[in-house]
Amino acid sequence: MLDEAATDTMITQISDSLYTHLIKTYDGNLPSAGLHSLDEIRTQAFERFKSMGFPTVKQEDWKYTNVQPLIGQRYSLDTEMPSGTPALDKALIPKLDAHRIVLVNGRYSSELSTDEEIPGLQIMPIEQAFDRLCFAKYFAAYADKTDNPFVALNTASFTSGLFIEVGKSRQLQKPIHIIHVAATDKPLFTQTRNLYVMGAFAEAEIIESFITEDGAEHNLNNQVSEIVLRENAKLQHYYLQVAGPQSNYLNHTEVHQEKHSLYNNYNCSFPGAAFVRNNINVQMGDSEVESHLYGIALTAGNQLVDNHTIVDHIKPHCESYEWYKNITQDTSTAVFNGKIFVRLDAQKTNAFQQNNNMLIGEKSAIYTKPQLEIFADDVKCSHGCTIGQFDNEALFYLRARGISEAQARVLLVHAFAFDVTSRFLNAAVREYVEHLVEEGL
Amino acid sequence: MLDGCPSTYLITFWRCVMSTKDDALLKELTLEEYKYGFTTDIEMDIAPKGLTEDTVRLISAKKNEPEWLLEWRLKALQHFLKMDMPTWQNFENPDVDFQDISYYAAPKAKPKLNSLDEVDPELLSTFAKLGIPLDEQKVLAGVVAVDAVFDSVSVKTTFREKLKEQGVIFSSFGEAVQEHPELIRQYLGTVVPQTDNVYAALNSAVFSDGSFVYIPKGVRCPMELSTYFRINAENTGQFERTLIIADEGAYVSYLEGCTAPMRDENQMHAAVVELIALKDAEIKYSTVQNWYPGDKDGKGGIYNFVTKRGICKGDHSKISWTQVETGSAITWKYPGVILKGDHSVGEFYSVALTRNKQVADTGTKMIHLGKNTRSKIISKGISAGVSHNSYRGLVKIGPGADNSRNFTQCDSLLIGDRCGAHTFPYIESRNKTAKLEHEATTSKIGEDQLFYLTQRGIDPEKAVGLIVNGYAKEVLNQLPMEFAVEAQKLLAISLEGSVG
Repeated sequence: MLDEAATDTMITQISDSLYTHLIKTYDGNLPSAGLHSLDEIRTQAFERFKSMGFPTVKQEDWKYTNVQPLIGQRYSLDTEMPSGTPALDKALIPKLDAHRIVLVNGRYSSELSTDEEIPGLQIMPIEQAFDRLCFAKYFAAYADKTDNPFVALNTASFTSGLFIEVGKSRQLQKPIHIIHVAATDKPLFTQTRNLYVMGAFAEAEIIESFITEDGAEHNLNNQVSEIVLRENAKLQHYYLQVAGPQSNYLNHTEVHQEKHSLYNNYNCSFPGAAFVRNNINVQMGDSEVESHLYGIALTAGNQLVDNHTIVDHIKPHCESYEWYKNITQDTSTAVFNGKIFVRLDAQKTNAFQQNNNMLIGEKSAIYTKPQLEIFADDVKCSHGCTIGQFDNEALFYLRARGISEAQARVLLVHAFAFDVTSRFLNAAVREYVEHLVEEGL
Repeated sequence: MLDGCPSTYLITFWRCVMSTKDDALLKELTLEEYKYGFTTDIEMDIAPKGLTEDTVRLISAKKNEPEWLLEWRLKALQHFLKMDMPTWQNFENPDVDFQDISYYAAPKAKPKLNSLDEVDPELLSTFAKLGIPLDEQKVLAGVVAVDAVFDSVSVKTTFREKLKEQGVIFSSFGEAVQEHPELIRQYLGTVVPQTDNVYAALNSAVFSDGSFVYIPKGVRCPMELSTYFRINAENTGQFERTLIIADEGAYVSYLEGCTAPMRDENQMHAAVVELIALKDAEIKYSTVQNWYPGDKDGKGGIYNFVTKRGICKGDHSKISWTQVETGSAITWKYPGVILKGDHSVGEFYSVALTRNKQVADTGTKMIHLGKNTRSKIISKGISAGVSHNSYRGLVKIGPGADNSRNFTQCDSLLIGDRCGAHTFPYIESRNKTAKLEHEATTSKIGEDQLFYLTQRGIDPEKAVGLIVNGYAKEVLNQLPMEFAVEAQKLLAISLEGSVG
């Protein structure tokens, strides 16, 4: 755990803007277990962050997503455990039998987590993993190659997070359910760093839920997850965003895949969190790799949900499949940006991308940019994008059969989401998400 | 001072060097010699290089422009000097030294011409080589009225009298400034403001000529109007400005074609085209762009940085852009339509073919503001060699654009494994009744199609030509007949040597 000296330097100073606050309090005296290499990575990342600064809407990647109002506010950086135990019922998925891991403001809570010994599975707070071999090998190896300033900031000054390693050829029987709880009585800025390593031939399922404790103060969470899949590994990865309106998220997920591996990401956002920005980058580092990215964002109120994905076909014979659906209500905004790169000589690539949107709210907006950059010729790449509304004929059809309008709408949205939800391999999660879609309307 | 520096140039006749055939399919590209790469020996008036307020004043004085236009130009220059070069494009922005360009080049001033006989015979032979029916004798047989812009100045506008009978104004921009200043003043810069982008600002400051078209109320222009652009002089840029106004219920179809001599240095072409369609009017604007693309190592060639935009100002108006882009070292343009009037329609049809080291970053912008507006985008990219072809488009639905509709299709065809095809579509909707569709595909030429054709005795090169023409047909069909034939040939010629 964090030693005393480190926490002392982060004493609450809510008087400065976040940038000055971060610059002022950064002194390199962060948890690094005395590892010189980690210190160095942190210092370099901090220099990178300082040179980049926080992004503005003038930058292409942040064109529709203005972080300035968020970072303009004052935050405490003190991520000490709050007193009392936060309730987890919002994150609980009926019928799901899983290993439960709870992170409160990014900190591992052993009392809330199910603490069982599973052979081949290592789960621990990230600061306890600093001396592990695969930490040295994979930490900051991929995410920090991107030009996301929030990743640089996270690398420089993360304070907590989770480390998971699934041993070689281990196939987990039960999924790992990680619950991220935001619980604070003062405006809080947290920086969480996760590293998940899937050994060769390992198989696992990770479900991550994001919730906010009732009555919690305004909070901003900058989370970076690095995921490495060794040869033939398989990972099913769910993000279930059900946090409250006080919470704001900047989530960066960097996936690196080795030969024959399979990574599936299911990214779901529901009405609640005021600001959600997901960056999901998949690097297909070797040939014969497969990835599926599914997403569904149902927004309401004044929400902004922004999903940026990059699928990078570096080697030949890889396959990617991406399908994102957005449904915007009220005055909410949904942003989708899907990039597919097919590098030189990444022949025989199969890349598919689809983004469908339902714009329901009178004043809601959808900004989408499905982007292809292709440098090889023997490929099959396509993308499609639509923006539309309820089909009046379908509505009429249902109403003519005695179904109320509200019910008919629910049915139609359910059907719209079905393309994505039907891909969920975990039946309990699928049922839970379908229920949330209905509830969110 | 200007008269003191006439320049003369040698004519280098174009020779068509047939490309030697290569055995391996889809191998290195050989270059079909650029067919229009001759220069013309004509006495020219060339302004000294450099861009200052004096340059602008000089151009304005040369054109005998009214005071307000000079001021308008100077304002644009001020903006230009303040603006930074853009960095968002998907290619390396060439380092253009704006002080090393001459902003005015004109065939040496002579008294006003009365008939074609008085036009410099050298100039006439240039246009004859280009195959423009400039000669009125020839034109009488055709259906096209031509305004030929040579370097920066409009040389001759044919068929003027006949058009005049209908009230159609078709003249060089310079003449229009003299004869119809009220129209120019009313519409100039209303679609592409001086501050729009750095090249539009530059053009607004130094544009030297161009074409002007006005179609009066209810008139259906009896013939296709056409402009031919040619850059001839060395170290000059071409900055022309086209303004087309279709008054209520009018219709016009306008064509432009472009060529330039082969030179080792890069030359710049920064034009601005503004289209204004009032109530119930329709403008159809077609371009066949074949500027010199540079040689196979990417040396020389035209930088084609053009701002084209139209506005459907009135209800039920329509603007349609069709472009066939085969030339230029770098093509960078996004013909767009602002759909302001209710029930207005915008269309964009494009074929962009790049090879060797060419770069094309092109697409369109459809801004839906009015109710029940519709837009359609068909973009076909073909990249060969080591070229890069990007589609970049914006479809924007404003909050008031109820029931608007967009359909976009952009396909890319790759010939060879060292070229690139990229798509950057921006789709923004802020209206809950709008419907938008976008689809894009990228693939190489179908081997089964190639096999089918070669198996029936068609050689691979012709087969590729056939497939590409079929692929581009949707766009070529939009071109007026004469141009469609030319464009088809151009595609075939440009592809020559692309396959073994």
